[in-house]
Amino acid sequence: MTAGRFMGQAIARTEDPRLLTGRGRYIADVVVPGASDAAFLRSEVARGTIVGLDTEAARSAPGVRAVFTAADLNPRVHETSLAGLLEAPYPPKYCLAEKDVRFVGDPIAIVVAENRYLAEDAVELIEVDIDPQVPVLDVDAARDRDSDLVHPEVGTNTPMVIPLFDDPELEAAFAQAAHLVRDTVTMHRYVQVPMECRGIIADWNPHDKQLTVWSSTQSVHGVQAFLAGLLGIGTNQIRVLQPDVGGGFGQKTMLMRDEWAVVLAATLLGRPVRWIEDRRENLVAAAHARDEKMDLSMALDGDGTITAIRGEHIENIGAYQTMGSMGSGALVAPFLSNAYKVPKVGYANQAVYTNTCGKAPYRGPFLMYAVGIEQLMDTAARQIGIDPLELRRRNVIRTQDLPYTLPSTLCMDAITPAETLDQAASMIDYDGFRAEQAVARKQGRYLGIGIGLCVEPSAIAFGGLATEAAVVRMDHSGKVTVLLGSSSTGMSVTTTMKQVVAEHLGCAPEDISIVQGDTAATGYGAGTMGSRSAVLYGNAVAAASIELRSKLLDIAADALEAAVEDLDIDDGRVFVRGTATKGMKFAELGQLAYMGHDMLAPGMRPGLEAFHRYKAPPFTFSNACHICTCEVDVDTGRVTILRYVVSEDCGRMINPKVVEGQIFGGVVQGLGGVLYEHMIYDDDGNPLTSTFVDYLLPTACEVPTIEVGHIESPAANPLGVKGMGEGGAIASPAAVVNAVADALTPFGVTVSGSPLGPKQILDMIATAGH
Amino acid sequence: MREMALTLTVNGERFSRTVEVRRTLADFLRDDLCLTGTHLGCEHGVCGACTVLLDGDAVRSCLMFAVQADGAEVTTIEGLSKRDGGLTPIQAAFQAEHGLQCGYCTPGFVVSAHAFLAEHPNPSDEEIREALSGNLCRCTGYQGIIAAVKRAANTGVSS
Amino acid sequence: MPVKPAPFDYHCPGDLAEAIAILQQYGDEAKVLAGGQSLIPLLSLRLSRFDHLVDLQAIEGLRGVTVVDSSIRVGAMTTQAGVARSNDAAAVPLLTKATCHIGHYQIRNRGTLGGSLAHADPAAEYPAAALALDASLEIAGANGSRRIPAADFFVSMWVTAMEPDEVLVAAHFPIWSGRCGWAVAEVARRAGDFAMCGAVCGIQLDGQRVSRAALALFGVDSVPVRARVIESELADAVVDDLDLPAIGAAVAAKLDPPGDLHASPAQRRRMAKALVPRVLAAAINEAKHA
Repeated sequence: MTAGRFMGQAIARTEDPRLLTGRGRYIADVVVPGASDAAFLRSEVARGTIVGLDTEAARSAPGVRAVFTAADLNPRVHETSLAGLLEAPYPPKYCLAEKDVRFVGDPIAIVVAENRYLAEDAVELIEVDIDPQVPVLDVDAARDRDSDLVHPEVGTNTPMVIPLFDDPELEAAFAQAAHLVRDTVTMHRYVQVPMECRGIIADWNPHDKQLTVWSSTQSVHGVQAFLAGLLGIGTNQIRVLQPDVGGGFGQKTMLMRDEWAVVLAATLLGRPVRWIEDRRENLVAAAHARDEKMDLSMALDGDGTITAIRGEHIENIGAYQTMGSMGSGALVAPFLSNAYKVPKVGYANQAVYTNTCGKAPYRGPFLMYAVGIEQLMDTAARQIGIDPLELRRRNVIRTQDLPYTLPSTLCMDAITPAETLDQAASMIDYDGFRAEQAVARKQGRYLGIGIGLCVEPSAIAFGGLATEAAVVRMDHSGKVTVLLGSSSTGMSVTTTMKQVVAEHLGCAPEDISIVQGDTAATGYGAGTMGSRSAVLYGNAVAAASIELRSKLLDIAADALEAAVEDLDIDDGRVFVRGTATKGMKFAELGQLAYMGHDMLAPGMRPGLEAFHRYKAPPFTFSNACHICTCEVDVDTGRVTILRYVVSEDCGRMINPKVVEGQIFGGVVQGLGGVLYEHMIYDDDGNPLTSTFVDYLLPTACEVPTIEVGHIESPAANPLGVKGMGEGGAIASPAAVVNAVADALTPFGVTVSGSPLGPKQILDMIATAGH
Repeated sequence: MREMALTLTVNGERFSRTVEVRRTLADFLRDDLCLTGTHLGCEHGVCGACTVLLDGDAVRSCLMFAVQADGAEVTTIEGLSKRDGGLTPIQAAFQAEHGLQCGYCTPGFVVSAHAFLAEHPNPSDEEIREALSGNLCRCTGYQGIIAAVKRAANTGVSS
Repeated sequence: MPVKPAPFDYHCPGDLAEAIAILQQYGDEAKVLAGGQSLIPLLSLRLSRFDHLVDLQAIEGLRGVTVVDSSIRVGAMTTQAGVARSNDAAAVPLLTKATCHIGHYQIRNRGTLGGSLAHADPAAEYPAAALALDASLEIAGANGSRRIPAADFFVSMWVTAMEPDEVLVAAHFPIWSGRCGWAVAEVARRAGDFAMCGAVCGIQLDGQRVSRAALALFGVDSVPVRARVIESELADAVVDDLDLPAIGAAVAAKLDPPGDLHASPAQRRRMAKALVPRVLAAAINEAKHA
C-alpha cells in the first residue's frame, strides 16, 4: 500500500519530547491542594470471617484524618454496574470487605492521612482479627457441586457456563477421524504489570455537588459512568480527567473496589483524597490474568486436514473481577478455529471463582482461542509425523477461501494468514533452521522452532464499545483541535490521529492539537482497550476531517470564485490547482468562517467544526504469524530465544513504527509470561510472588531482536485500518511454547503449556527419564 | 534523630531542607523539590524508574534516604534535559527509534543510558543489553530502547 | 502493603568508636547502614525494622583498596563499582570477575563489599569469593579489633560471626602468584538475579600440574560452600588428565541445597553438576594462557 504524506509514515511522536525530559504528568505528579493520602488495610488471609476490627489507635495516629471501614462506606454505595455491559453477579454491590474476606489483598479499611508514610504507619495500628477458613483454590475442586462457595450469596462458584451443545455432526467427525489428537493446554497465571501502578484522586465539593476525579485509567467515560452509579449522582456532576498514564494493558479499564473506596472517602470527607497504588498491591491485589486450561481435541483425516475441533475451557477468574465475570468464553467460542478451515467446532466454558485475586482484562484476554489450537497443531504434527509448518499450510485459510464464514456465522474477509505464514517462514529460513537443528542435536545441543499463527478479532465493537466520536474543529486562526473520547496509555493515539487529520485535511501535524482523556471536553467513548483505537478513533477522525475539508472547500470555492473540483489543499492552504497565487490559507478561511461570516454565501453556516460518531462492525480481523527459535540448556533449564520473527497484517498502517512498537511490547509480554512471569499462590492462598524480586519481568538481556515483516490488506472500513495492539501478546505464548517443545522432542517430553521456567523444564526432562 | 537538616545540590541548584530521615531520596526529589520526572515503579530497587545521578553515578533513588545525599550533587532527568525545549542527543535517539511509548520508565532509562555511555562510548550490543538490564520496560519490548542507545553511541555522543 | 519505611533514628557518626558505641547502646534495635541496597528494600517493605540506623558513610578510612604484603585490603565501605575499577583489587582477579555478576551497575554504584559480606546472602558472589580465597575479615568492636577467617565468618543465612555491636572494617584477600586462572559462573533466572546456583574458581598451574585450586559454590546452601575435598584431589593433578564432569558430579553429590520457587534441591544439584566443569575449564584455560 502506498503511504500518504502522513498516513503510513513513521513520523516522530508528539508525545516524546515531554516524556523524554521528565515533563510527563502522571497521576502521582498531579497536585491537588489539600489532598490527603490514602493507604489500605488488606487481608492477609485468603478466606475467613472478620471477627474483630478496631481502628481506634489508627484514628488517633499522627497525621490521620480519617479511617473508614465497610460500616462507613458500604451504605453509601448506590449501585455498581457497568455501562453497556451485561449484568453479571459481579461487580459486587459492596466496597470494602464487611463480614468476611475472600482473597489475600481484599481491602478492609482505608486510612486517610497527611502523607503516605503516616498513612502506612496508621494502617499498622489497626487491629483486625480474622478467623481463617480453608480457601477455595483449585478450579476443579471449586467447580464441584459440594465445594465451599467463594461468594455464598451468589450461590455458585461457576457464574458463567457455556455448555457443550449436543452436535451429532461433531461427534461423527471425531468418530470417523483418521487421526485424533488431544491435549489439555494450560496457561498459568501471569499479570499485566504496567510500569505505573494504579492511582486516583477524588475531589468532592459538597457545595456545588461536583466530583472531580483524576484517574490513571484507560477510559475516562467508563469511570464517569461507573461513579455516577456508585454515588447515585448524575454524570453531569462528574468530571474525570486522565493524566499521562504509564501503561494499562487492560488492568486500568475499570475501577476496582479500592478505588471506589477512595471516591467514597472523598465524598464523606468533602476534601480531596489521593491514592497511589504501590507495587506490592499492584501485584497482589489489583487484578490478575490468564490462569486457564483447555481440554482440546482435534479430528484430522488421513492427509492432515482438520475436520473438527472441540475445546472445553476452564478459567480461574479469582474472587473479584472488573468487567462482569471476566470469563472469556463468548470471545473464545467463535474463534476457536483461529486461522484454519475447520467445518465443525464444539466449545464449552466454565468461569470459576477461587479465593485469589480476581481478573481484569490483559492484552488479548481471550487469547486461549489461539494458544490452544496453536499448541495442538504442533502436537498433532508430531503425532502424525508431518512438520508443523506443513500441517498449518494444509489447513490455513487462503485467499481463495475468502470470505470465510466461521461456524459461528461470523465472516472474515480481509485476512492473510497464509501469506504471513509464508513470509514468516521465509524470514526465519525455516528449512535452514531445521538443518541447523539436526546438526546441533548431534552435538548435544537442543534447538527448537515454534510457530504461532493467529487471526485477531480486533476492534471488538458491541454495545458501548461499538462507536467513537470525534470533533474536528478549526478555529479562527486556522489551527485544528480534535476532541476524542480516547484515554491513551502509551499507544500513540495523539500522534497517529494527528497523522490521520493531517492527511485528510491537508495541514501539518504541528497545526493540530488532540484533546482526549477529559469527560468535560469529549463525547462518550469506551476508551483504549480491545485494539480498537485505529479503527474507531481513526475512522471517526477521518470522517470528521473529510467533512471539515468539504466545508473548507465550499467556503474557499466561494471566496476564490472557483469550482470545488478545481481546488486542492496542501500545507494548510486551499488553492486552485495549477495556480501559484489563487489560494487562501487556513487562517484566512478561519477568519472568514468565524469573523467575516457575513461574507459567506447564503446558506453557508459560520464556523468550521465537524462531528462524526463512527460505528464499527462487530469485529475487524487482523492477523499475524510469529515464529521463534530457541535453545534449551538441559542442565540448567534455561531457555534462550535465538530469533523471533513476526509477519503481520494490520491493514493500512497509520504509523509503521507505532505498529512495530505494539508488536514488540506484546511479544515480550507473551515471552515474558511463558518463560519468566508467574504469579504463584501457596496452598493457603498466599501470593508468593508479591514483589519484583520474585515476579520476574524480562529485561533487555532476555529478549531477542524481534524482526517484523508487514503485509497490508485493507479492511473494509473507510480508513482501511485494522487493530493490532493485542496480537503480539496473543500469538507469542504458543510460538514460545512450541519452540521449547520442539527443542525437547528428543527427550520425549510432552509440553502442554506454560509456565516454562527452569524448574518446569528440568522437571519435564526428569519425568521423561533423563 | 528523626529529622535532619540536609544540604545538597540538585541539577546545579543548592537546597537546604529539614527532612524526616526515613524519607527516600526519590520522595524528596519528587515531593519536596517538585522534580516529578523521577518515577516510582516499585520502590524496592528493581525497576530502575527512579534512577538519578549521584555525584555522576547512576543510582536507584528509592534505595537511598535523602539524608544520605547530604553534601552530594544529584542530577535528575530534568537536570539532564535542555531548558530551551530541544532534545539532547540521547533523547533524540530515543525519539528516532521509538524507544518509548507510555514514557513512565523513560526518564530512568535516559539517565541510565547517559551514565553508561559516558563511561562506555563504544559499547558492544551485548554490553548495551547488559547495561540496560537494570531498567524495566513494559511497552517497548526493549527493541527501540536498545536501538536508541546504539544510535546514540554510534553518533559519538554520550549526553 | 507498605513501601515506605517505618520511623527510625538516624545516626551518621564521624568515627568508628562512635559507631560502635551507638551499636552497643541500642543492641538489637540498631543496624549498620552501608550501601543500603539490601537493607533499604527490607525497610521499605517493612519486612525488617530497626529503631536506629547507623550510617557508616562519614567514617574515614573505610573506603579504598590497598596492597598490604601479599594481600589486598579492601575497605568495607568500598563500593562494588569501586572494587571493579581498582587497580590494586585487580591483583585478585576473582574479585573483579565476581563483581560484574552482582545485580546491575546502578546497584554496584552504592552497594559495598563490606555490606555484601556482612549481609551474608547465601546466593551472593562476594561471600563465596571470600571463602574460596581464604579471606580474612577485619572486625572492630568495643573490645578492639579482631580478625575472623572467612571459613568461620558465614554462620547461616544472613547470619555472620560478628556480634551485634561489631563493625566490619575491611576484608583481606590473599594474592596468588604464578600462572593463575579465575572464573565465576552462575545460573540465574535473568541477568543480575540472585543465583540459583553459582561457582567461583581459581586454578594455579605449575607446568602441567595444578599447584593450587580453590572452588566455592553459592546459592546451594545457607552459606557459601567450599569444595575442599575436590580441591585436595585437584592438587598436583595433571591438568589435562582431569575428568571435569566427574568432578562436577562429585561436588554436586555432596550438596544439600534448598528448594524454592525457582529450583528444587535436585535441580540445584543438577545445575552444580554442570556449572562446576564449566567454571573449572574456564579457569584452567585462563591459567594456561597466563
